[in-house]
Amino acid sequence: MTGLLVALPGIIAQLLSGAALLAGVLTLATTRKPALALSVFLDLLTAAGLLRLVGDPSWQSITTAAVIVGLRHLIGFGLRIGARTWTGSAPGPGRAGPRSGVVVDRLLRPAWRR
Amino acid sequence: MEELLQDVVNVLVSIVEACGAAVIIIGAVWAFIRFVWVGLRRRDTSAFVPVRLTLGRFLALGLEFQLASDVLRTAVAPSFRELGQLAAVAAIRTVLNYFLGKEIAEERRQVAEEAGRAGTAGGSTPADRPVRPA
Repeated sequence: MTGLLVALPGIIAQLLSGAALLAGVLTLATTRKPALALSVFLDLLTAAGLLRLVGDPSWQSITTAAVIVGLRHLIGFGLRIGARTWTGSAPGPGRAGPRSGVVVDRLLRPAWRR
Repeated sequence: MEELLQDVVNVLVSIVEACGAAVIIIGAVWAFIRFVWVGLRRRDTSAFVPVRLTLGRFLALGLEFQLASDVLRTAVAPSFRELGQLAAVAAIRTVLNYFLGKEIAEERRQVAEEAGRAGTAGGSTPADRPVRPA
């Protein structure tokens, strides 16, 4: 029973990693929002990492799960800081310049879609 | 007596871990299907948020089961190597559970804010909007 408990989640974790990549790419293709696509990708990747910890995990799977969790929060923190910077640098009523949403949209939109 | 206790604890650990794994698998598969559905049909950022919230809840519930199994494992005397691994896994699960709870609360707050903003924008008339000083 323990063998099955270790083997089955391991296989499903690999399938989930593939599904995470697929869902992330699909989200990026349909919404053109890298931050959202990254969140979707990391959410499913976290689920896969948690499944790897079921049973008797090796140090490698423990490290992998810890790295994914750390990476997830580092990227989330970076994205929040970035969003705050964009919001904070929005031009005031007396200053001329494009709106931050327009600039972000221009930066994030692929060149072939402009 | 100790061997019997160890056997019973091992069986209980397997059952509780299987429950946790099942919850995580069900949540992840459901979320994947919903992500694909929302991505293909609605293509709206706000449509992804409820799916992420539900996945977070599934992961948190699965983590609770896995933490319970960690607690059960400490009932029998493990070696120092096993104890180290157990501590690392329990630490990861606890940290993740804490951050998942925070993320769920944050996303729920954002959803409520957006809903409130949409309600204000849709339901207000020029008469009940605040008058700005010139």
